[in-house]
Amino acid sequence: MAAYLLRRVALMVLTLFGISVVIFVLLRLVPGNVADIIFDAAGMINPAEKAGLERQLGLDRPIVVQYGAWMGGLLEGDLGHSYVSDRPALEEIAPRLPITAKLAGLALAFSILFGVPLGVVSAVRQNTAIDYVLRVLSLSGLSMPAFWLGLLILMAFVAWTGFIPIYSETPQSLWDEFLVYSVPAAAVGFRSSALVMRLTRSSMLEVLRQDYIRTARAKGASEPAVNYRHALSNAILPVITVIGIEAAFLIGGLIVTETVFNIPGVARFLVEAIRWRDYPIVQNLVMLIAVVVVVVNLIVDLLYAVLDPRIRYGE
Amino acid sequence: MQRRSRLFAAVGAAIALAFAAGPAPSAEPKQGGILRIYHRDSPASASIHEEATYSANIPFMGIFNNLVLYKQDAPQNSLQSIVPELATSWSWSADNLTLTFTLRQGVKWHDGVPFTAKDVKCTFDMLMDKSPQKFRKNPRKTWYDNVTEVTADGDFQATFHLKRPQPALLALLASGYSPIYPCHVSPAEMRTHPIGTGPFKFVEFRQNESIKLARNPDYWRKGRPYLDGIEFTIIPNRSTAILAFIARKFDMTFPTEVSVPLLKDVKAQAPQAVCELKPTNVNVNLIVNRDKPPFDNADLRRAMALTLDRKAFIDTLAEGQGDIGGTMLPQPQGVWGLPPEILRTIPGYGPDVQANRAEARKLMEKLGYGPAKHLAVKISTRNIPVYRDPAVILIDQLKDIYIDGELDVVETGNWFSVVARGDYAVGLNLTGNAVDDPDQAFYENYSCGSERNYTHYCNRDLEKLFDRQSMETDLEKRKKLVWEIDRRLQEDVARPIIYHIRAGTCWWPDVKGFTMMVNSAYNGYRFEDVWLDR
Amino acid sequence: MTPVDYDAELTRAGANASGVWGGLLFLARRQPLGAVGAVIMALVVFAALFADLIARCDPLATSAALSLAPPSAAHWLGADFLGRDVWARIVYGARISLAVGLGSTALGSAIGVAIGLASGYLGGWVDLIVQRVVDILQALPLLVLALVMAASLGPSLRNTVIAIAIPLIPYVARVIRANTLALRELPFVEAAKAVGMSEWRIAVRHILPNTLAPLIVLATAQLGSAILTEASLSFLGLGIPEPHPSWGRMLSESAAEYVRTAPWLVIFPGIAISLAVFGTNLLGDALRDILDPRQRS
Repeated sequence: MAAYLLRRVALMVLTLFGISVVIFVLLRLVPGNVADIIFDAAGMINPAEKAGLERQLGLDRPIVVQYGAWMGGLLEGDLGHSYVSDRPALEEIAPRLPITAKLAGLALAFSILFGVPLGVVSAVRQNTAIDYVLRVLSLSGLSMPAFWLGLLILMAFVAWTGFIPIYSETPQSLWDEFLVYSVPAAAVGFRSSALVMRLTRSSMLEVLRQDYIRTARAKGASEPAVNYRHALSNAILPVITVIGIEAAFLIGGLIVTETVFNIPGVARFLVEAIRWRDYPIVQNLVMLIAVVVVVVNLIVDLLYAVLDPRIRYGE
Repeated sequence: MQRRSRLFAAVGAAIALAFAAGPAPSAEPKQGGILRIYHRDSPASASIHEEATYSANIPFMGIFNNLVLYKQDAPQNSLQSIVPELATSWSWSADNLTLTFTLRQGVKWHDGVPFTAKDVKCTFDMLMDKSPQKFRKNPRKTWYDNVTEVTADGDFQATFHLKRPQPALLALLASGYSPIYPCHVSPAEMRTHPIGTGPFKFVEFRQNESIKLARNPDYWRKGRPYLDGIEFTIIPNRSTAILAFIARKFDMTFPTEVSVPLLKDVKAQAPQAVCELKPTNVNVNLIVNRDKPPFDNADLRRAMALTLDRKAFIDTLAEGQGDIGGTMLPQPQGVWGLPPEILRTIPGYGPDVQANRAEARKLMEKLGYGPAKHLAVKISTRNIPVYRDPAVILIDQLKDIYIDGELDVVETGNWFSVVARGDYAVGLNLTGNAVDDPDQAFYENYSCGSERNYTHYCNRDLEKLFDRQSMETDLEKRKKLVWEIDRRLQEDVARPIIYHIRAGTCWWPDVKGFTMMVNSAYNGYRFEDVWLDR
Repeated sequence: MTPVDYDAELTRAGANASGVWGGLLFLARRQPLGAVGAVIMALVVFAALFADLIARCDPLATSAALSLAPPSAAHWLGADFLGRDVWARIVYGARISLAVGLGSTALGSAIGVAIGLASGYLGGWVDLIVQRVVDILQALPLLVLALVMAASLGPSLRNTVIAIAIPLIPYVARVIRANTLALRELPFVEAAKAVGMSEWRIAVRHILPNTLAPLIVLATAQLGSAILTEASLSFLGLGIPEPHPSWGRMLSESAAEYVRTAPWLVIFPGIAISLAVFGTNLLGDALRDILDPRQRS
């Protein structure tokens, strides 16, 4: 186990290093840098002033030196400064993190709350009308563009209640705050729950075909007991891996949903930072996302090992 | 014709008197409340002098004062609507080469440091690139090309020394773009935490999120501001923003951000909301790269100008709500616009579009183009709807004269470098004028070698006329000169102006004391007279 | 890992089928949802191929009189802000969305197959390097990677295809590698080696065809996700630029602005995207059930 863990962590570090290089190089291929964007608002480019700005931001240094500076800073816990706001990147990113975390947490809860039970029902009632309806529903959930769904939900909400569930720093009441998070979370969660449902269903079906379920049935265990006690407890394991898949899936949904609902979280911030060519913000945010995805996947794998006694990692 | 005395005599004191009387309010203004406005995007910094967009002016103008300012409740900016602010009065010397301001005493910066003439000198030294402290960028340096020096004479008098007479200097100083900065705060700090003398103190600016201002309790103008503060929430997504305004999450839309179709939407959904649609002094124009063959041919450029159906642009993009004119904003909202009788005589401005196009086709045929031989060209524009939409219509119209345009969308941040490099053939551009004054418009956009002269149009004879109108102290005589210049710019196809945009602002009826200006979108946001009727 | 004889499966699946209609009929009986998906996809392909005939007007022609015109007999789905016919744009949009979807899926799959095959068949250090690259690409959510790619390449049709294709590579490479690993150990590969076939030929002639089935399943699923990603990129202003009538572009910021005054601008392209993706998903599910019996439900 310890050896396995060590290997995984080593690979993880290697992956993250690779990502840092890829992102760093990609960003510098972008036509136009932050100096262009900053001058854009001025409606003209003064070459001397632009060169001055690039020097001040260190953009005139060789790319290797710039990369070294970034990595060196990261190791010391210094994420650099935002080119646009002049403030430390950490100060820009940190306050936005809990907002996205809350949203992601709610969306995840939403997707599990709906996805798992519906997936079980769909599997148990395989090839019945309920199964078909649920499958079509979940597939259509996965087929809609997340921002389109968000926009429709937002419009419908305003039309019916007159209240607009977009982020507010000082919510009027606890209920308002709940709405402000839960409506966009539902928009993201709807798609995620479709994913969870499909995965639960197939994992449940897999288990239902296993020998020990047949044995339980043969021994005369009641149908609900078989389905829910024996099968579900075994099927839930693979569902945990879903959370790993979802981490990546959710982030995609959050990016567009935070834009539609004007939520000042890190996902929307990433899009804005890309637009501004604010390298320190983009680099660090992408790294953060990668770390989250990689770590969540590691935890899921370990959790799997802990929960399933049949699996022993050793290699 | 005796207006001249109004401009040049030391009448500052008289105006100051008028100012003290103030606007006659319809009801007794109430103190308190936070004005909530949504903001269309995040400005690059909080430093007005370093930015050239009203994304910076609107939220940050309330922090500052100018020497002089356009009267905030007069819709039309003109030399007559300029009132004192940090200056209590001003006077021109007999030779019109020095402009002296007497400054207000007892004014304090938001951090408690007293305001003196040194701050005035510091501000303009930086703008003229004469001080050791530098701006990161200085987009309006050319405004002060004619100023040799600004001197502080004692603590409460500042003097501008000019190379030649320039009565319109005052117009530039009265813009929202011309706040006085403190000497003791560095340009870097001004970008992140601006300090001013104005009615509101800076509280916080979170990139892409919000901007907050709070009442300055020690403001020199007693009883102002009425508001406790102003909060801007940045919402780049327009549909979300308008929805939030309708749901009363905001008291006011971002000024001039409501397009004509959206205005209809607001009116339908929120009939009580007050909406005003006014010219912003931003025009849509066609830029043709006259260094790039075949566009180095004057006839080809002329054919392109002839084919413009200006009314179709306005009808499609703004349901008829737009103004046709030359470089200067058309009258009556604009002060300097070409009168219709002159405008009609300029090629392409005549009412018969088909006749114009027939003439354009003839020019094209002379150049060898025709139904069998089309000219393929990329139409470059910026990747934002206000640029893209008219570009799509332009392509549609150019089809009529054998030109097959293909839209080439340039990422917004690269647009000006592409244009400055001359890396385009035909482009669709927007030009905003902060001040409705020919000095700003002509020198910036049409003088040889100016950074914003995107088409590299260069006419030395006309430049002499620029100077002549600039020095002219008689308003009517100056107007005649300006018309002459504007007419020639259009006839030369320097940068064909397609139309002047009107844009809307909406607010709920309990917002009082806000005046939307009719000939500039940059100067009316001090917010000290605004109050909430709750 | 049990090897699967996909050819036999395919033959069995279509045992009683004769021609396209027979195949469809068979599909309809055994996989009714899959048949629905196939019909939807056929419609989309039909629209893309014959856009000129069914569009009824020029998707790029602007008109002042038609600005934000509601649906009518003349303009079935209304017109957008610039007076362009929404029906025509959706029909032509099928062409672009399909081109982006197929283009990026094909590109991503081609690269993915190449490196998956190399990695699985050659093993050793090639495998090691490829696996690390795949790890790197897979640690970033698809949209994040596509966003950065799209931003660094600039907005154009070609660049959008590339930006969406790259994030697809690791998924394909993974599947192909796993299949190749399994196939490599099979007796027929040994036999081919014994008769002196070159490694390259074995990989291309014997292993590649046998990985086709899982590839088809995966590619169908990716097609839908590519169409969705294009829509998201366009919504965020980084996808297909104007004036191309891509479905995502039609839904982007400028259209969304008029969502209240002209809901048809947002509803119809959204339905077009959802329907097309729904079709690929249904089809993908059915194909998986048929071609990949291990996953069969």
